[in-house]
Amino acid sequence: LTAMECRVLSIQSHVVRGYVGNKSASFPLQLLGFEVDSINSVQFSNHTGYSHWKGQVLTADELHVLYEGIKLNNVHHYDYVLTGYTRDTSFLEMVVDIVQELKRANPNLVYVCDPVLGDHGSMYVPQNLYPVYKNKVVPVADIITPNQFEAELLTGKNISTEKDAVEVMDLLHAMGPDTVVITSSDLPSRLGDRFLVSLGSQRHVRPDGSRTTQRVRLEVPKVDAVFVGTGDLFAAMLLAWTHHYPTDLKTACEKTFSVMHHVIQRTISYAHELAGPGRRPSPPQLELRMVQSKADIEDPAIVTEATVIS
Amino acid sequence: MECRVLSIQSHVVRGYVGNKSATFPLQVLGFEVDSINSVQFSNHTGYGHWKGQVLTAEELNVLYEGIKLNNVNHYDYILTGYSRDISFLVTVVDIIKELKKANPSLVYVCDPVMGDQGAMYVPENLLPVYKNKVVPLADILTPNQFEAELLTGRKINTEEDAIEVMDLLHKMGPETVVLTSTDLPSKQGDQFLVALGSQKISKVSDGTNTDQKICMDIPKVDAVFVGTGDLFAALMLAWTHQHPKDLKTACEKTVSVMHHVIKRTITYANEMAGPGKRPTPAQLELRMVQSKADIENPAIVVEAKVLQKSSQ
Repeated sequence: LTAMECRVLSIQSHVVRGYVGNKSASFPLQLLGFEVDSINSVQFSNHTGYSHWKGQVLTADELHVLYEGIKLNNVHHYDYVLTGYTRDTSFLEMVVDIVQELKRANPNLVYVCDPVLGDHGSMYVPQNLYPVYKNKVVPVADIITPNQFEAELLTGKNISTEKDAVEVMDLLHAMGPDTVVITSSDLPSRLGDRFLVSLGSQRHVRPDGSRTTQRVRLEVPKVDAVFVGTGDLFAAMLLAWTHHYPTDLKTACEKTFSVMHHVIQRTISYAHELAGPGRRPSPPQLELRMVQSKADIEDPAIVTEATVIS
Repeated sequence: MECRVLSIQSHVVRGYVGNKSATFPLQVLGFEVDSINSVQFSNHTGYGHWKGQVLTAEELNVLYEGIKLNNVNHYDYILTGYSRDISFLVTVVDIIKELKKANPSLVYVCDPVMGDQGAMYVPENLLPVYKNKVVPLADILTPNQFEAELLTGRKINTEEDAIEVMDLLHKMGPETVVLTSTDLPSKQGDQFLVALGSQKISKVSDGTNTDQKICMDIPKVDAVFVGTGDLFAALMLAWTHQHPKDLKTACEKTVSVMHHVIKRTITYANEMAGPGKRPTPAQLELRMVQSKADIENPAIVVEAKVLQKSSQ
């Protein structure tokens, strides 16, 4: 069996303990056979949802130095770049420069970008990141995974209906990325209020030169807990499954959302066990059961079916 | 399995040394791995170029403080390897002491990286720190011949010498010692190197003693690998965890995984380099991700010989 030769550059946070950023993305991608090069944008003891957190951040300059090392050895050849949560505009701008240079080195490079800006109506990164995402980052992205708030922010359009969502995804396509997944929305689900709605859209050019867009919709079970690192896992798994199903967004999304479901279920069960009956689990107890979910990551049983919508 | 490892080692953006070498195999085997990156470099220092940043002893302390403040400073294992800085190493020792107070059953797996083939490749002033502070805390030690000789002040010319040196190392602290490579002559010829292991466990609770000494003949490979020592120590952690009183099996599994990874790596490297050309450091990076199945369930390719075993 020939090994898959696919190299990802992931520029995300590192936490000593737990699963966010590169800790959340690397292991699953490695399990699926990807070579993962990782630049750690920060090193913190744990994610910032705990009572305490401590650590150090990488400056834009230091990021550049690391990239220089890779370049000097002439190994700056990647098939994918993956980025997520960032708080610093100069860092983000350096990331854009690196992505542009890597795309010159490999025009087929796919940039998977989680445009982390906020959720539930408010920003949780500095406001001045917004124009950088809108004007510089999203235009070089090939796959983006905004939530509803981020999709609305980037396009300036509100989503109240499925039709709105489709228009917003088309607007996002026009900004750059051929693949857009709105990871969660508060659109009413066909399956009731224990479910949220996710949508995806992928533009293709047919062999005859004409363009087509595949759009999908998924009803995703809600979970009564706050998880951290799930968005990072989602983007990494979407990278993996769109790699295996580059023109079949339906299947790529079904696999991605199914992996999420298995990991989250395992995590919530374990967290409740640890917390004890009637007690809300703590952030340490809610860390994703990543290592324990190896089999589900490698070969996810499909638990969510995507509907193709026009 | 609920087993949490704290690994304090280097991070490289590209390639497999330090934490990059140790983490994936341990995670694949079901261990929770917390990792403190002592440096972040673009790649290991055997390439034409390397660039990056180091963590200071103070910054290491700050990270540990964060863990402690959240009351999650509870580990079953600690794993350390290559270090160049005395104050960093001393801070590591303090952290281990504290973690052992928090969990007296904690097992410290230590690769006392100092040099090889007769020469030191870390600053000389690390030797007294290893000898007087680090090794006394270690439970499992994976020195090569040179490091074992440095730590004990005794040369190894025969198998008997090796056994005496391992016993001296036991007296310094660790119950499990593996001499990862020596230049002792192998009975299988000069295409093989000799590795030895010794486990001396005295259980106060039930009065039993385990004293097992083993040796293995390992095929030599005509290439310079980086990160293999880090992989070895991580695998020793994993397989001694599965086989805590059976050093023979733990070593056979460890060395067998090493063999599969190295073979896969050298094959690929030679393919990449092309006929008649020596592979580059970049081409020789361990084929870690591709070796997942071997890591999970290694076919045993090396048999360890028991030299002397006594259990009462």
